[in-house]
Amino acid sequence: MRIITHTCTECGTVVSANELEGNRVMKCPGLDCANVLRFADLPQEDRQFFLEHAEQYEL
Amino acid sequence: MKGVLLSGGTGSRLRPITHTGPKQLVPVANKPVLEYAIEDLKDAGVTEIGVILGHKGREEIQELLGDGSDYGVEITYIVQGNPLGLAHAAGCARDFVGDDDFVMYLGDNILKQGIAELVESFERGDYGAGIALQEVDNPQQFGIADVDDDGTVTQLIEKPDEPPTNLALIGIYVFSNEVFDVIERLEPSWRGELEITDAIQTLLEDGHDIDSHVVRGWWKDTGKPEDILEANRLVLEDDHLERNGRVAPDATVDGRVDLHETATIEDGAVVRGPVSISENTVIESGTYVGPYTSIGPDSTLKGVHIENSVVIGDTTIRTNGKIVDSLLGRGANVGRADDELPEGRRLVVGENSQLKL
Repeated sequence: MRIITHTCTECGTVVSANELEGNRVMKCPGLDCANVLRFADLPQEDRQFFLEHAEQYEL
Repeated sequence: MKGVLLSGGTGSRLRPITHTGPKQLVPVANKPVLEYAIEDLKDAGVTEIGVILGHKGREEIQELLGDGSDYGVEITYIVQGNPLGLAHAAGCARDFVGDDDFVMYLGDNILKQGIAELVESFERGDYGAGIALQEVDNPQQFGIADVDDDGTVTQLIEKPDEPPTNLALIGIYVFSNEVFDVIERLEPSWRGELEITDAIQTLLEDGHDIDSHVVRGWWKDTGKPEDILEANRLVLEDDHLERNGRVAPDATVDGRVDLHETATIEDGAVVRGPVSISENTVIESGTYVGPYTSIGPDSTLKGVHIENSVVIGDTTIRTNGKIVDSLLGRGANVGRADDELPEGRRLVVGENSQLKL
């Protein structure tokens, strides 16, 4: 299973694609980090793959 | 070698304690379980640690561990989100691990002998993975490894009806970087999770040797209240305990007692170790604190007889009753109802609580 993540450019916190997709736009979960993370920050190919296989990333 | 420390999960078996916090922060001998894992990793020479966070307790875990500098390590946080399995958690750490090998440690596990021998054994060979094993009495209830005379794993079987050995996988693994490509090839299991045993089995089928190391000392998965009590007992039995607080002249203190420098045992109290008493806690007259008990910070005990129990902290207990084999959550208050009418116990009990009256 392809696992897609994104790393916050401000604090280095790594966030999985399912978390980004679930929120679309979110404050970085790193404590005291004010950066805003978006599902759209992922490369186009990763976003497309995730959305086409979204059922794999759900509980 | 890097470390990946798993700190997700719902902690459902530890409710109601985990209604308000993650299970990895429940204290054993007045120290959060997660800190034991950090110390084990550091003792094994692993100082770059990725902490995997789930949905629960993200802020609390980050507040406790910070950037790791208080522990002499460097911490990166990795948000897994949905709990899609241990192999998914490992896969989320791929960018953090880079080209290194890594130790994966379940953050609610605690073991006596640490992980240095497991890591050293893995590094001595050319292995795809290394697994920690322990002999168990009920192998049918565990993932079981069959090993040859050198300790190389020949087969992994999940909860076998006819186990070939009694060597169970415990929650500590070492992986070569090859595991990430294996995880990419895995499909979710029937329960919708990427299973770490499937990843190890695939490494095996791909021709990688899998090392094993049998853990001889005690090991506990602290997922249930009785596990917390047993881990507390085991740690207090082994730990070096320092009596730094104030013991009044007419208090009785026997055995090994870890007493924080700001804690007090007052006249007329009896404390019989091994016991741990945390900061700003007062044991008042008429109280008996018996063996294998940990009392957390900012607590006051008066009149109670308490034994083999964990009081997490911010707690007041003022009763003549006896409390044994108990786990009291933060902010719990226990008073006496002797003088109240009608007679009877008065309870405000949270969801999923367990009481024996």
